[in-house]
Amino acid sequence: MENKKVTEEKLSGIKLLRDLCLTFGPTGCEEAVADEICRQLEGTTDAEITRVRCGNVYAVLHGETKNGETAKKVMLSAHTDEVGFIINEIDSDGYLKFSCEGGIDPRVLCGRHVTFRGKDGDVAGVIASKAIHHQTADERKTATKVKDMYVDIGAKNKEDAEKYVAVGVWGTFDSDFVVFGENDRYMKGKAIDDRLGCAVIIETLRRLKAEGKRLPFDLYCAFTVREEIGRSGAQIAAQTFEPDYAIVLESTAIADLPDVPANSRVAKVGDGGVISLADRSTVYDREFVDGTMKIAAQKNIPAQIKRYVSGGNDAGHIHKAARGTKTLAVSAPTRYLHSASCVAAAADFDSIRELIYAVLNGYSF
Amino acid sequence: MYSLIKKMVCCAGTSGSEKKIAEVIRGEIAPYVDEITYDALGSLVALKKGTAAEGEKKKILLCAHMDEIGFMVTFIEDNGMLRLAPLGGINFTAAAFSEVVFENGTRGVIVPEAGTKPEDLKADKFYVDIGASTAGEASRRVSVGDRFALVQYTTRLSKNRIVGRPIDDRAGCAVLIEIAKRIFGGCRDDVYFAFTVQEEVGCRGARPVGFAVAPDVAIAFDVTGVGDVPGAKPMAVSLGDGAAIKVRDASVICDAGLVDQLHKIAADKKITHQTEVLISGGTDTSSLQMAGAGCAAGAISIPSRYIHSGVEMIDLRDAEACAALGTAYILGE
Repeated sequence: MENKKVTEEKLSGIKLLRDLCLTFGPTGCEEAVADEICRQLEGTTDAEITRVRCGNVYAVLHGETKNGETAKKVMLSAHTDEVGFIINEIDSDGYLKFSCEGGIDPRVLCGRHVTFRGKDGDVAGVIASKAIHHQTADERKTATKVKDMYVDIGAKNKEDAEKYVAVGVWGTFDSDFVVFGENDRYMKGKAIDDRLGCAVIIETLRRLKAEGKRLPFDLYCAFTVREEIGRSGAQIAAQTFEPDYAIVLESTAIADLPDVPANSRVAKVGDGGVISLADRSTVYDREFVDGTMKIAAQKNIPAQIKRYVSGGNDAGHIHKAARGTKTLAVSAPTRYLHSASCVAAAADFDSIRELIYAVLNGYSF
Repeated sequence: MYSLIKKMVCCAGTSGSEKKIAEVIRGEIAPYVDEITYDALGSLVALKKGTAAEGEKKKILLCAHMDEIGFMVTFIEDNGMLRLAPLGGINFTAAAFSEVVFENGTRGVIVPEAGTKPEDLKADKFYVDIGASTAGEASRRVSVGDRFALVQYTTRLSKNRIVGRPIDDRAGCAVLIEIAKRIFGGCRDDVYFAFTVQEEVGCRGARPVGFAVAPDVAIAFDVTGVGDVPGAKPMAVSLGDGAAIKVRDASVICDAGLVDQLHKIAADKKITHQTEVLISGGTDTSSLQMAGAGCAAGAISIPSRYIHSGVEMIDLRDAEACAALGTAYILGE
C-alpha cells in the first residue's frame, strides 16, 4: 500500500489538521501554534479572538438569550502544546544532552529526527545513543535511558553547536504528516495530541459562521498551553470564564492492539470519539455523558465510552476551578500517543466534529 | 446520634454519584437552615444566617464529605464477570471476597482471580461475580460505568462502639447535621454547612465550595486514623479519647491560631479532645485552605479504626465530642 504525504488538493478536510500538527509547539513554547490558530480563525469566525499572557488563545462567541436571561457559559478547550524536548547541556564534542517535556517513552526516541528552535532558525538533529555494537550485554537487555541519549546536530564541537542552539532551547519530533491505509483512512503525524482537538474547535467556529448559527449561550473556546506537564493553561481559562459547562477535546492513548486483553482495551480507532466516565484526574458529569451519548445515538454519530480508568487531562483542572464546572471529555482514539508517529483515523476526526456540533446545538445546557 | 449516623451510613454514594445521599442529608438539615443550594459538581451547601449585622459577621464553613470509596464497572466479560476500576483509595486486601451492591440494587461479590498472590492484589486482578453466566445476562442488570461499593451497613457492637461502612465520612455528615440542630436557636455568624462530593478521589469537591463561599474560617469534619490497635504505626490518637483536633496531615498544615482556639474551647467546655498529627492521608481541609483567596482552615476529626475497609469502627462518644466542639466554636460562649 502506497504511503503518501498529504498534498494540498487531497483530503481538504484534514489540511487544517496537517497544518496544525506540523507547527512547532512543545510544552512551554506554544507561540507558533497560537499564531497558526489565530491565522486559521481570521475571517472565518465572528468570535472575538484574544491572546493572553500565559500563551492561551481565546475565541469568544456571545449567544442570543431570550427575555434578557443571563447567558449560560459553555467552554470548549483543547491544548496547543505537544510533548517535546529541552536542551540541558551541550558537551565538548557538540552533542546535546536533553530531557523530555511531557511523558515520552524513551524507547520511541532513538534514531528519531528532531527539530530545535534555535537562535536563528530551526536546527535539525537526530537522537542517538551508544551503538548496539558498543553496548555491554546488560545494556542490550534494558531500554536506553534518556540521560544516556544525546542529540547530534552535526556540530564539530561545543563552540560550533552554540552558534545554533543553547541550553534551554526547545525541540520536537520532526515528523511528516502522512495518510495511509485503505481510502487513506488513517493519519500519522506528531502532535495529533492535541492539535486534533484544536482543529475540531476551529472547524466548529467556522461551521457556526457558515451556517449563520447563533447559539443560545456564550461559547468560550480556549486553546490552552502546558497540558503535557500538568501545569494547565486550561485552569487559567476556566478561572477566567467560570463556565457552567466545559467540553475538553483531547486525544487518548488506546490499546486496541493484539497483546492487550479485551478488558484492558481502552477504545477502538474508527469507532468515534471516546467519552470518559472517569480517569485519574476527573469523575465526569454523568448526565452530560449520558446526554451526549444519547445525541450521538439519535444522530447516528459514532461515539464510544472509554472502557478503562486511566490517564488524565485538562478536565482535572477545569472541573474544580472557580465554582466548579460540569465537564465532559471527548477524545480522539490515538495509537502510539506521545511518539513521532501518532496514528488516528480520519473518520474519528469527522465523528468528533459532528458530535460537538450536535451537542452544542442539541444539549440542554 | 447513632440513629442519625445509621441513616447516613445506609445509603450509597460513590465519588461523583452523591445525589441520593445528598437528598437524605437535605431532608435532615432543611428544618434547621435558611437556604440550601447545590453547586455544579453536586455538593450541598446549607446556610444558617447569623444574627450580627452585615459587615460585622464572619463566614464560617463547616464541611464533611458525602462520597464513599467504591468501584466502577469498566468491562463485561463473555462469561458475565465484570471488570472494574477503583474510585478512591481502595484497600484491595480488605475488599477481596466481599459482598458488593450496585446503585440499582444488584448484588454481587468482588473476588481476585484464582491464584493471585497477596502482593498482586490490585484492581486489574479483580472481578465481580453477580451470578450471571453470560455477558448478555450481566448486561441486562448492569452497564459499563455503573457504580458499586461494599455493602453499606452499621452494627452497634457495644454501648459506645459501632462498626460498618461508609463511616468515612457519613459520621462527619451526621456531626454537621447535629451542629445545625444545636445552633438552630441563633448564632452570631453566617454558618455554611457544606456536604462535599469527590473527596475520596482527591479532595476535589471542596475546592469549588471554598471558592464560592469564600469563608473566613473553614473546618472539615472527617475521620482520622488511630494508633491504638495491634501493629498500628505510632499515633497519639485513640478511639474513645474524644474529638481529634488536627494539626497536620499529608495535605495540609492547619491554621495555628484556629488549632489553639479549638484546644482552648475544648478545655474550657470540658469536651474530651486529643491532638491529631496524621502522617499519611489528606482531607478536604487542604482544598478549603487554598480555594479562592484562601482561608484559616482546620479540622475536627473522628478517630476511626480500619478506615477504607468494610469494618470501619468509631466510638459514638468521639462523634458527640466533635459535635459539641463544633457547636461551642460557633456559639463562642
